[in-house]
Amino acid sequence: MGNKKLWISFAFIILALFPPLFLSQYWLHVMIISLFYVMMASSWNLIAGFTGQVSFAHAAFSGMGAYTSGMLTVYLGLPPWLGILIGTGVAALLGFGLGYLCIRMGGIYLSLTTLGFSEILRIIITNEDQWTRGTMGLQVPGFFVEYSKTSYYYLFLIVTILLLIVIYKIIHSEMGLTFRAVLNDEVAASSSGINTVRVRVLAFAISSAMSGLAGGFYGHYLMLITPDVPSLGQMFLVLAMAVIGGMGSFAGPIVGSFVLEILSEYIRVYGEYHVLLFGLIALAMARFAPEGVVGILRKKWRREWA
Amino acid sequence: MSELLMYLTNGIVIGVINAISAIGVSLIVGIMKVVNFAHGELYIFAGYFSYHLSVSLGVPPLLAMPLSIFLIFLIGIGMERTLIRPTYGDEMYSLIITFVLSIVLQNAALLIFGPYPQKPPNWVTGAMNIFGLYHYGNQRILSFFISIGVLLSIFYLIKRTWFGKSIRAISQDREMAALVGVDHLKVNMLAFGLGAALAGAAGVVLSPIFPVTPSGSSSVSLNAFIVVVLGGMGSLKGCVVGGLILGILENLGAAYISTMYRHIFGFIILILVLVFRPWGLFGQKTQ
Repeated sequence: MGNKKLWISFAFIILALFPPLFLSQYWLHVMIISLFYVMMASSWNLIAGFTGQVSFAHAAFSGMGAYTSGMLTVYLGLPPWLGILIGTGVAALLGFGLGYLCIRMGGIYLSLTTLGFSEILRIIITNEDQWTRGTMGLQVPGFFVEYSKTSYYYLFLIVTILLLIVIYKIIHSEMGLTFRAVLNDEVAASSSGINTVRVRVLAFAISSAMSGLAGGFYGHYLMLITPDVPSLGQMFLVLAMAVIGGMGSFAGPIVGSFVLEILSEYIRVYGEYHVLLFGLIALAMARFAPEGVVGILRKKWRREWA
Repeated sequence: MSELLMYLTNGIVIGVINAISAIGVSLIVGIMKVVNFAHGELYIFAGYFSYHLSVSLGVPPLLAMPLSIFLIFLIGIGMERTLIRPTYGDEMYSLIITFVLSIVLQNAALLIFGPYPQKPPNWVTGAMNIFGLYHYGNQRILSFFISIGVLLSIFYLIKRTWFGKSIRAISQDREMAALVGVDHLKVNMLAFGLGAALAGAAGVVLSPIFPVTPSGSSSVSLNAFIVVVLGGMGSLKGCVVGGLILGILENLGAAYISTMYRHIFGFIILILVLVFRPWGLFGQKTQ
């Protein structure tokens, strides 16, 4: 990490410590949800933006994390942290299995199968309501004995920062190098000795585990898990955040998550139009500015400084 | 016994319609390596068009049908021209764009048509006694024969006409096809329109039997994808056989195991295919 980048990151982390001092409970809630989306969009970007594979099961895996942990804490009385850990493991295993089956056949198969997985998970959760409480939602215990939005904010902040550090390390490691080699030229990468399938399956499993982790924390924050958590609507929001913010860049999904989550709070006043609006913006971005908001800003700054 | 026969007949009727819908996906995958995730939404729109043309505007049902399909064809051409064409060669962006499009269309349908299931009027009424074994609705029988007609015309179009030849040429080798004078951009556009129109045809034929709702679109897409993978990507024959297999298994499963889990059977088939024969029944193994 360059010195300048390190200082900028530090400045952001210091700034991120203050919101609970002046934000209302409502906006603190919006910040916590934004942090959840940062984890989701950044880990989705790890596979889509860096290895070029589009998974439509990212929300489904977060749902696996949330429901696994939720049910373990409710029915077996496990502490939430252990539930989240197990939920993350379940998401990782499922990700590995789906990835192993599909990725050798190519990206199209992964997209089709993950879409199917999302649908099936929704059907199972809605129908097995003696365990999951179906659309009524499963009430789960919170992470803290005493409910406080401030504690949740700091918890989410710490987990998000740790997750982002891991993602940053992966991108800038040798593994990240092979990710990009696979993305840029698959044939060249495989002929220079990279096992492209193994790299992609691994990336997919890691990314799925991360969404399981994010989902686990999300469930214990909301304390009510509904089939909306693993829904395709949620998947779309995560995808739109990464696409609008900027895929394939580290900062893109972070920016996209905050912007879209905060925007949707304002739009919600007029009704449920935010999905339609974000869809249209995402289409326009994917068509005309595939590098997203971050890409546009970066180009602009470079031009002004050069 | 007659019960089993009736479920089988249901499976075959739905299977043929599955095949039409799946060929729409398969054509587009074969020719431009694009999976249209908005396939199910086009089906839903066709159902609503056909409903509103005949119920709200008073167009005779048998005219409303081709008219709706034609509208979907135009929408497909518009989609290809504005959104898909710039993504050629970039598989990832085409997947993202058609997925976002499916969400946009689904929400648009909710806004325009409302959340209520709609069902275009039946073309015929009554039921027929089949070989003295069981009664079967005339609407379903007619839908079946119309679907067979659609299937035969697609096969004719692809196997016998110049347009079909260009499609097959491009699927095999785009550059060679361009070299021998096939206008591949135009063929792409028409093929995408045709793929969309087939989603529309399935929607129009099936909606008098199963009403359409905006939220029903993803299971339509999923069914088509499962059939395409089961039959083998790019294989028309595979779509027909795969469509029938899925239709029959789903109907028997729903009847004898669980109605709630109708769609799970399809997903199980998908996973089994990926494990044991990932190139599908009639696909080429080289990949």
